[in-house]
Amino acid sequence: MKLNPMELYNLLPKTNCRLCEPKTCMAFATKLALGDVKPEDCPPLLEEGFDKKLEKVRELVAPMESAEATGIKLDEGRCSGCGNCVVVCPVDVAVEPDTAIGKAGKSGDTVFRVENGISKIINLEKCRRFPPDKLNCRVCEQYCCTDAIEIW
Amino acid sequence: MEDIVCNGCSLLCDDVVAEIDNGEVRSLGLCLLGFTHLDVALKHQESNSVDDKLEKAADLLASAENPLVFGWSNASNEAIKEGLALAETLGGHFDSVANLGVVQAMTHSIHSLKLDADLEYVRNNGEFIIYWGSDPAESVHRHPSRFAVLPRGEKIPEGVESRRIGVVDIRETETMKIANHRMIIPIGSDLEFLEAVTSELEGKSSITSSVLGIPAAEVIGFVSGFKKSDCTVIFYGSGILNSGNALEKLTALSRLVQAVRKSGKEAYALPMYPETNLMGVVNVADEIPSSLQKIVANEFTTALIVGDDPLSSLPGPAAKALAKAKLVYIGPPGGLADKKATVSIHTTDMIIQGSESMSRLDQVKIEFKPWRGVRKSETTSEILKKLHQLVKTKA
Repeated sequence: MKLNPMELYNLLPKTNCRLCEPKTCMAFATKLALGDVKPEDCPPLLEEGFDKKLEKVRELVAPMESAEATGIKLDEGRCSGCGNCVVVCPVDVAVEPDTAIGKAGKSGDTVFRVENGISKIINLEKCRRFPPDKLNCRVCEQYCCTDAIEIW
Repeated sequence: MEDIVCNGCSLLCDDVVAEIDNGEVRSLGLCLLGFTHLDVALKHQESNSVDDKLEKAADLLASAENPLVFGWSNASNEAIKEGLALAETLGGHFDSVANLGVVQAMTHSIHSLKLDADLEYVRNNGEFIIYWGSDPAESVHRHPSRFAVLPRGEKIPEGVESRRIGVVDIRETETMKIANHRMIIPIGSDLEFLEAVTSELEGKSSITSSVLGIPAAEVIGFVSGFKKSDCTVIFYGSGILNSGNALEKLTALSRLVQAVRKSGKEAYALPMYPETNLMGVVNVADEIPSSLQKIVANEFTTALIVGDDPLSSLPGPAAKALAKAKLVYIGPPGGLADKKATVSIHTTDMIIQGSESMSRLDQVKIEFKPWRGVRKSETTSEILKKLHQLVKTKA
């Protein structure tokens, strides 16, 4: 299930104290939903008075932290081969840098590659949702205009 | 696999590869539109001699008084130049769909307004990207991933996270899913919304209540995108102009761009259309008088149609009138013009030919790349050159 940044934001102290790396509570909530930061990275949330909210935040992000594997479904019937998933995927950009500037992925080392007009997941095990990263990264799903990608 | 250039839409993707194995095509990077285009083009390769048909075509055209020389939106730049020369020899009327209605407003007027930039510049600098009356997810699939939304650029180090995306349309489009600002406005209200945004931006008014049903806070947030971004690029489609007053709306769009520029920021506006080489026509044949009224009035008894199917794209009365003329068709097989033509000369699609050039929607010239595994045949420009020579001998 997708984590809702607004739901997480409403549980944060909302002081924009700038003690965390994202600097604002909204940005922190967004990164929290993506698994890029942990609840403990918010110092005011650890202070007295926020116990129940901290507990709730931990409860919400717990499934993500314990994930050992991921499910990604790519509905080829919905895919238009636009390549959004290829270009937005951080793994693809790292292993084939030309995709960072919008070029088509061709190497065979990427997570996604558009073959015969349709995006295919060719290296699922490289997805950041898998160990050792275990990040709640869902950018491919987020930027798929046709809703062809579903993560669970 | 070999490098190819795709002419499935106006993006002319030149970073894709393909191969043909036992008559089956395989590709990497081509979107569904491009792959389907390549697959169909492969099945329609032509290698037969066209000399007999050229003789008949030359007879028809040379005997006509004022033939229409029409089409070109899917023809190469070289073919368009040959077409212009042929039209001159024939004493005919050269024209194209690039010269009609909304497309005319989008492709020609943009030059006089000095609003455009090339797509590489957009990728490297475009911070606030707006799709206004255009939905790339439906027709120009790789526009967001190659140039405007997702890629990193010189001043866009984090890709989409360094950009802000806005979509203005009359309905919820697929591209709205990836937008920060989603402005759904009533049909025909683009001008009003353009003026409201410009006025707010210039500080001439202050939005305090909803605009065209959009809450004030959302509109103010949209306007703040222009103020906070160093470089704004508006990609406007036929959706902004289709409801009438095209030039008035383009002028309002220009005013919006100028208002952003006056604030010291960069701003551009580029047309969005799927037809492959409209800009090729505009570049070599700007300011040609439109033939639409003459077509409707049955003034052309003979027409040469090249690289287009005007019988399926012209307005009904014009298409019906043109269908009554004697037609010579030159282009890939299929379509109404091909079916109705007295003489049909079939050519192999440029994606297969891998030669000559087209102009991308931002006017950048793209050279096609030769590749193995395809049968070579005469290009449209070579056929037109032969036809031109034949016409000269009959004149």
